[in-house]
Amino acid sequence: MPQLNPGPWLLIWLSSWLIFLLTIPPLVIMFKPTNSPIKSLTHFLPDPWYWPWP
Amino acid sequence: MALNFFDQFMTPIYMGIPLITLATLMPRLTFLQPTSQWTTSRFSTLQSQLLNSSTYQLFAPLSPKSHHWALLIVSLMIFLITINLLGLLPYTFTPTTQLSFNMAFALPAWLATVIIGLRTQPTHAFAHLLPESTPPLLIPILIIIETISLLIRPLALGVRLTANLTAGHLLIQLISTAMFTMIHTIPLMAMLTGTLLLLLSILEIAVAMIQAYVFVLLLSLYLQENM
Repeated sequence: MPQLNPGPWLLIWLSSWLIFLLTIPPLVIMFKPTNSPIKSLTHFLPDPWYWPWP
Repeated sequence: MALNFFDQFMTPIYMGIPLITLATLMPRLTFLQPTSQWTTSRFSTLQSQLLNSSTYQLFAPLSPKSHHWALLIVSLMIFLITINLLGLLPYTFTPTTQLSFNMAFALPAWLATVIIGLRTQPTHAFAHLLPESTPPLLIPILIIIETISLLIRPLALGVRLTANLTAGHLLIQLISTAMFTMIHTIPLMAMLTGTLLLLLSILEIAVAMIQAYVFVLLLSLYLQENM
């Protein structure tokens, strides 16, 4: 099975984690809802459930 | 026709450039950037609604201390869902079929939950190694079994995702090869195989989304145990 070839493991391991961390969390955090319609980049939620991060 | 059906899972390298890095960048490009307008487009609203509702679903049962992990876990979920779905398109490479890719996310995340559990509430973390009301004779064996099951968790996480996606892609290739071969000789069988292929593709779309969600759900459960 080509997945078990040890050659590209380190490259895939490092690059995948790095690319994921640098690309997706910045995107997700842009959609963080807030109670303020001015500061939020998305629509103003009628039910302001507290977004679970500090 | 590929001589070896597993050739589709070889890490593609073109002129010295590993294309898996390019494939990993694809999910970022499929998401809309939020604008500075107060009312956004329907797609943007849908996207944020899906993000918020899935975050709520995942983190409602968890303690408030675990909510610090929300960004990481939700990002991982949409990352895996997008990669899995993009991999179902023809001529694309699915990074999540690589065990190394999935282990890169499973092992550090699981290890982090275990370390957090051992640091913040060590007694509670060790107590998980023995279920309640165990007969005294079984205690040593059960502790060994529970320790093994704890240590096998990252492997199970990674291999589950890898195996599900690899099997799905293999099945699609096998059935489409069979259909392609039979279409000139036995057209009726080829049509039935084609219907099977269509149903399988629908199943694979479901599996792609479900497996990503299961990966992330299990991580949140391991976090719930340790926090």
